[in-house]
Amino acid sequence: MMRAFELTKTTVTYQGSDFPALNDVSIGADEGEIVLLLGSNNAGKSTFCRLLNGLVPKSTPAQIDGKVEVLGRDANRTSVARLATMVGMVFQEPENQLFCMSVEEEVAFGPENVAIPRAEIIARVEWALEAVGLTGYNARSPSNLSGGEKQRLAIAAALSMRPRLLVLDEPAYALDPTGRVDLYALLRDLRERYGMTILIAERDAEEMAELCDRMILLRNGRVVADGAPNAVLSGIDEVVAAGVSPPQIAHLSSLLADRFPGKTRPFFTTDDAEKEIADLVRATGSDAP
Amino acid sequence: MNVSIAAQSPPIISLQNARFSYEGGVEALRGVSLNVARGENVAIVGGNGSGKTTLAKHLNGLLKPSSGKVLIGGEETSTTSVATLARTVGYVFQNPDYQLFCTSVSEEVRFGPKNMGFGHDDESALAERALKLMGISHLREQSPVSLSLGDRRKVAIASVLATSPRVLVLDEPTTGLDSVESAQLMATLGVLRSEGMTIVLITHDMRLVAQHMDRVIVMSEGRIAFDAGVEEAFSDPDRLKRCKLLAPPITVLAQRLQAQGLLTEGATTPLQLVEQLVRVRGEQQ
Amino acid sequence: MTRFEDLYTEADTFLHRLDPRVKMASVLMLSLLAIIMSALTYLLVLLTFIFVLLLLARSSYRKTTFAMKFVLRFMALIAILWPLFDPSGTPVLIRLGPVVITEPGIWRGLASAARVGCLATVWYILIFTTSQRDLVRGLVKLGLRFDFGLALAIALRYFPTFGTVMDSIIDAQRSRGMEFEKGNIFVRARKYVAVLGPAIVSALKTADMLALALQSRAYGARRNRTYLRELNMRPSDYVALVAALAMFIVPAIAKYAFSIPI
Ligand SMILES: Nc1ncnc2c1ncn2[C@@H]1O[C@H](COP(=O)(O)OP(=O)(O)OP(=O)(O)O)[C@@H](O)[C@H]1O
Ligand SMILES: Nc1ncnc2c1ncn2[C@@H]1O[C@H](COP(=O)(O)OP(=O)(O)OP(=O)(O)O)[C@@H](O)[C@H]1O
Ligand SMILES: [Mg+2]
Ligand SMILES: [Mg+2]
Repeated sequence: MMRAFELTKTTVTYQGSDFPALNDVSIGADEGEIVLLLGSNNAGKSTFCRLLNGLVPKSTPAQIDGKVEVLGRDANRTSVARLATMVGMVFQEPENQLFCMSVEEEVAFGPENVAIPRAEIIARVEWALEAVGLTGYNARSPSNLSGGEKQRLAIAAALSMRPRLLVLDEPAYALDPTGRVDLYALLRDLRERYGMTILIAERDAEEMAELCDRMILLRNGRVVADGAPNAVLSGIDEVVAAGVSPPQIAHLSSLLADRFPGKTRPFFTTDDAEKEIADLVRATGSDAP
Repeated sequence: MNVSIAAQSPPIISLQNARFSYEGGVEALRGVSLNVARGENVAIVGGNGSGKTTLAKHLNGLLKPSSGKVLIGGEETSTTSVATLARTVGYVFQNPDYQLFCTSVSEEVRFGPKNMGFGHDDESALAERALKLMGISHLREQSPVSLSLGDRRKVAIASVLATSPRVLVLDEPTTGLDSVESAQLMATLGVLRSEGMTIVLITHDMRLVAQHMDRVIVMSEGRIAFDAGVEEAFSDPDRLKRCKLLAPPITVLAQRLQAQGLLTEGATTPLQLVEQLVRVRGEQQ
Repeated sequence: MTRFEDLYTEADTFLHRLDPRVKMASVLMLSLLAIIMSALTYLLVLLTFIFVLLLLARSSYRKTTFAMKFVLRFMALIAILWPLFDPSGTPVLIRLGPVVITEPGIWRGLASAARVGCLATVWYILIFTTSQRDLVRGLVKLGLRFDFGLALAIALRYFPTFGTVMDSIIDAQRSRGMEFEKGNIFVRARKYVAVLGPAIVSALKTADMLALALQSRAYGARRNRTYLRELNMRPSDYVALVAALAMFIVPAIAKYAFSIPI
């Protein structure tokens, strides 16, 4: 299987900056993985995302050391426009990434740029709009959509390129709680149906354990943890120290383990938490000193 | 609801069947009535487009109701200027970049009190206090535009606090902040609250609401779907879902454990829940 | 937002269905016709014809009255002022010191008012019945470079957004006790620094973000691009185009080749 991306000893220092935004990062992902990139403000999440389609360093000048490979290509030697045909990018704020006068043109813009035949574009527009739940919005103006709808449209506009790698920089920004849940369901569905690789940058780990296959924890530009969600969340102190909000249930699990050593098994879902705590309380009689 | 407090002193915020339509016909408020007593700590929550921001803008007169009444400190907003209302209500916009324009943080923070004609000395005292409260005294000489989002947001809040309002309205103040910064912000709000400030917080983060707020006003399609204490507000998952909301996981877990008779009270943070368990186990032994 | 409102109203009339290129050409023809005509009678016939088109455009009542109020006021102004500045011909109707008003002057004033009415209304009809995206698309198909078309489209698209941002900034400053209504013009001008500063920062950020967004969607990946929506001339478009050309060419020949006064 091909690697979706592979960073090898990558260090990124923005022009005019005296410290690296990403520092000696070696990390990669297989195609078809859902990877969550966690980190606080300024941890380097956006830098990581923008490295993958070449915006860093091609639009924002920076010194890059080490290697950045995306879908088998050297990102430093491939133009942004070329990478964009394989890597879909959704930026944090939906406001300023929508620039067309209608929803359908917004979604068609990418495929038009790479000269996809018209009939195919029409099919892709319908597909992408359906995938994000915006069927029938074709003629609406993007500026008159609600915040959540704009976010969905930004995703559809990236999807219509049929990217093999979809990068989303804090996609839950300003979405209401159920809107978030819908978005995560959509991302899982995209992976199931199309085998897309998905990279999500987030500062908040709540609800994320069920979504992703892997969590990468960034702190001051360095990778401090990388692994299956439950493995990373078991080291909750590291998550907290990195300025990321830990999921409440995982946090509870580790607090209980500290307070009642050996009495509970680690848990990550509300159901498991309920069982463990019920056992803990009911077991009280038997293990009383 | 705080009927007893409201009865003692007139509510500082009072909406009576307020309606509002934007030009172009979107009916964003469809008859909203509520009272907020002095010193209350209120969250306004609801789905995207449910009317939260529109409601908040009525609280300092940026928007005036098309019908019905909005009274702030007993005065009708429709006949009072925003500048006058700003002495009572401080409003922090979601986007800090919409208000920062001075060349230094200290100038920025003095801008409000200067507009309101506090004397020069008061102005300095108020500005210093606001900077200290937000923990940004060391940024005094910096240019606001060059700061990080978290710091810009703190400057924006400080610049509103410096006008020494009695009510503070914050529209999604934690978006773009990380967990440390939003915890700091909530702690600062706690300090203000203990000094008697009335706080109205708009947010999509139900964990913050559960942990820090007393009362929850849930908006849905321009109406108040319900208005309740925190415990009660998060007790009915279906009702929440209809309003595009979800209770925080710990709150849900604590409720389930209570239903099983394993806990006696609710909990809003993992730590609270653990402390309760320690107590429960202690008692059982 | 009335300041930057899009005047286009969605509807399904034959004017809406016309190809934007044909519409632009027809509007140009009718404008030229109004310019070469000088006889009041003919101008009034043309004006009536254009008003009928305006009714057929089924624009919203609010937008129509908004636009026509402006047009009618301008027409009235011309009709009143023109005779004052064009006192040639006889009979003289009024002579008050330097002010001379003649009967032909009045007719010419009315004709000019009608001409301006024709010109303004016909362009309003174009804007009422053609979405901005069709206008831009038409211009691109007529040979405007795609880059320029895209820039134009983005500018049109961000105009209202920028207005909303300005409003929010003004609101934010008013919330800190600033009173824009107070003070003389210089004081007020200085107050707008508090609006322009954040507005410029926000505009720059927007521009920056847009550039990133465009590249991320493979803008410029190929020399040739395809288009989701092609413009296709239908028979009715050809009929309309021929009719519009005839409406200009026939009177033009009558006037310039046969010296028939129109
Ligand atoms: N264009 C730039 N020029 C110079 N330094 C930059 C630039 N963009 C980002 N940085 C710096 O690089 C570091 C990493 O920033 P980055 O935007 O990648 O972080 P992030 O994790 O996305 O943060 P946030 O959560 O605030 O979006 C920060 O210290 C930031 O100040
Ligand atoms: N300036 C405006 N012009 C027209 N309609 C508007 C305007 N601002 C908001 N609306 C509409 O009014 C309704 C309420 O909007 P409001 O901004 O109050 O929602 P909100 O609850 O704050 O949503 P969010 O959680 O997305 O911030 C929405 O349907 C919105 O589309
Ligand atoms: Mg970022
Ligand atoms: Mg809002």
